[in-house]
Amino acid sequence: MRPPAIASAALLFAAALQAHDFWIEPSTFHPEKGMTVSVGLRVGQNFVGDPVPRNGPYIERFVVKQGRDEEPIDGMNATDPAGWFTANGRAAAVIAYASKPSFVELPAAKFEDYLRQQGLERIIAARAQRGERAKPGREIFSRCAKAILTGARASIAVTQPLGLRYEIVPHGDPTFGGAPFRGRVIYQRTPAPGMRVEAVFLKQPSIRLSTRSDAEGNFSFALPRAGVWLIKSVQMIDAPRGSKAEWESLWASLTFDAPPAEGRP
Amino acid sequence: MRRLLPLLLLVAAAAHAHEIGTTQVRLSVHAGGAWTASITTAPLSLLNKLEVAAGLPRSGALDAGALRAKLAPLLPRVASLVDVRFDGAASPASVAIAALEVPADVSRPAFVVLNASGSVPPNARAFTFAYGLTYSTYALTYDGRTVWIEGDARCAPLPLAQSAQPPTRAQVIEQYLVLGFQHILPKGLDHILFILGIFLLTTRLRPILAQVTAFTVAHSITLGLTMYGVVSLSSRIVEPLIAVSIAYVAIENVVSTELKPWRPAVVFAFGLLHGMGFAGVLRELGLPRGSFLPALVSFNLGVEAGQLTVIALAAALVGGFRDRPWYRRRVVVPASCAIAAVGLYWSIQRLFG
Repeated sequence: MRPPAIASAALLFAAALQAHDFWIEPSTFHPEKGMTVSVGLRVGQNFVGDPVPRNGPYIERFVVKQGRDEEPIDGMNATDPAGWFTANGRAAAVIAYASKPSFVELPAAKFEDYLRQQGLERIIAARAQRGERAKPGREIFSRCAKAILTGARASIAVTQPLGLRYEIVPHGDPTFGGAPFRGRVIYQRTPAPGMRVEAVFLKQPSIRLSTRSDAEGNFSFALPRAGVWLIKSVQMIDAPRGSKAEWESLWASLTFDAPPAEGRP
Repeated sequence: MRRLLPLLLLVAAAAHAHEIGTTQVRLSVHAGGAWTASITTAPLSLLNKLEVAAGLPRSGALDAGALRAKLAPLLPRVASLVDVRFDGAASPASVAIAALEVPADVSRPAFVVLNASGSVPPNARAFTFAYGLTYSTYALTYDGRTVWIEGDARCAPLPLAQSAQPPTRAQVIEQYLVLGFQHILPKGLDHILFILGIFLLTTRLRPILAQVTAFTVAHSITLGLTMYGVVSLSSRIVEPLIAVSIAYVAIENVVSTELKPWRPAVVFAFGLLHGMGFAGVLRELGLPRGSFLPALVSFNLGVEAGQLTVIALAAALVGGFRDRPWYRRRVVVPASCAIAAVGLYWSIQRLFG
């Protein structure tokens, strides 16, 4: 390995230490009618991740919604891909995955780095106010991942919340047209204001956009390239009483294939 | 290894916060001073990580051949991120692809098995392992034990299994001295007969020393050169010629009573063959990677000790009669004939057997 490559590899993986994104990677974003689509779960950074095998006891919800029909995604435990379904090819398919909470404890410095990395400065301030900055960060975290697969025509169904605890919901079908991506972040079915939202381009993860949701939880991105994008956001709240953690994080993600459009090669 | 994943997930489910990925590592430490690790992981994910880290365009779905072709030049980068340390000292790894499968059925997983290997320093007591190419939690199994490692973190030191601890330099020397000696006494009947053939030629010490020296120098040369891969001759050629050498020295003992000028040269030539024979045995025994030269020299010294013991035993047995007028008639000739017969029998057996 050439020295610069080593350096960049080390940096890439060092950055991954604190926070791991989670998203859905289907075998195709453009299924035809009757096609079997495998649904891969990924954990990683910079839109490069490890496959996560299906782990039944940790799944809260794993469904696909095609038009009005919602069905559970079948799969074999402990295998990657985590599940599969048959595309109906008509409407856009929305896949949703929600995990049960897991516990993690990080040293104080690492926890604070991760909070800063995710735009959760208000939690840093809250810890300081509570005199907890020197204490390890103890949190429970849950995944709230979605993916939109292009259908035969634009679908309004993709604009409906699926009821995940923290969720990225587009205002329109992002797999059609060339308009900027507009959406909102919803926590417990209500708009989440002031949340950092990021967009990462699959083919070139160095293309990364960042914004914050407004008072109504709305945000928008002018996606500069056609292709697969990951939109992601992390919510953090006080952990429920009775858990051994002080904080609870919810990791929302949305993956989809943005079509070429004017100004978007 | 992949069949272990369901069980591992079940065992680990309650204990680990980060998602458990598909990467699995099985590490072995061998008594010969080497470690090997079989790393099973997702091939496209591995390639994408390497590509992104190197600033290369990220590949999409590929078949097995294309994945292998793209991964091959990046294996040194993988090796640099397989971090095995013995008592804190890094053991550089080399990595090769052992298997790579990409099923056409999208509901089945693709996987690559990487074989990593390196050397274990002498006296090592414990090792740590880190693999810098994973974000998820994965299982490392070693000596029947499973430890869980979070992402690119380093595992806590794992004590080397007693059986796997590489021997010390002194232990290697002792072990190969004994092996060399035993290869002559009691296991090396053909070499014993050849040494006896040298001993029986004459009752004078100097001719015996001249032959033994020629034989020793010769077999030391070819033993070393063969073990280092400089020379190579099939055992199908070497073994019959060793038998011929036994028959030759014994027959010459019958027809000659003194050291002919060519005899040391002939013994030297036969010594070259015997050295290749020793090398064949030593190769079967194996030489420790970290102590190759000490083991080689020790083995040779053990062989020398065995040869000298044969001569000393022979001298102790018949030395008192060597000045008797009947010594040649009643000892040298019958013993040499017997040795020649055995040598000829072996020659035929090894040639056509």
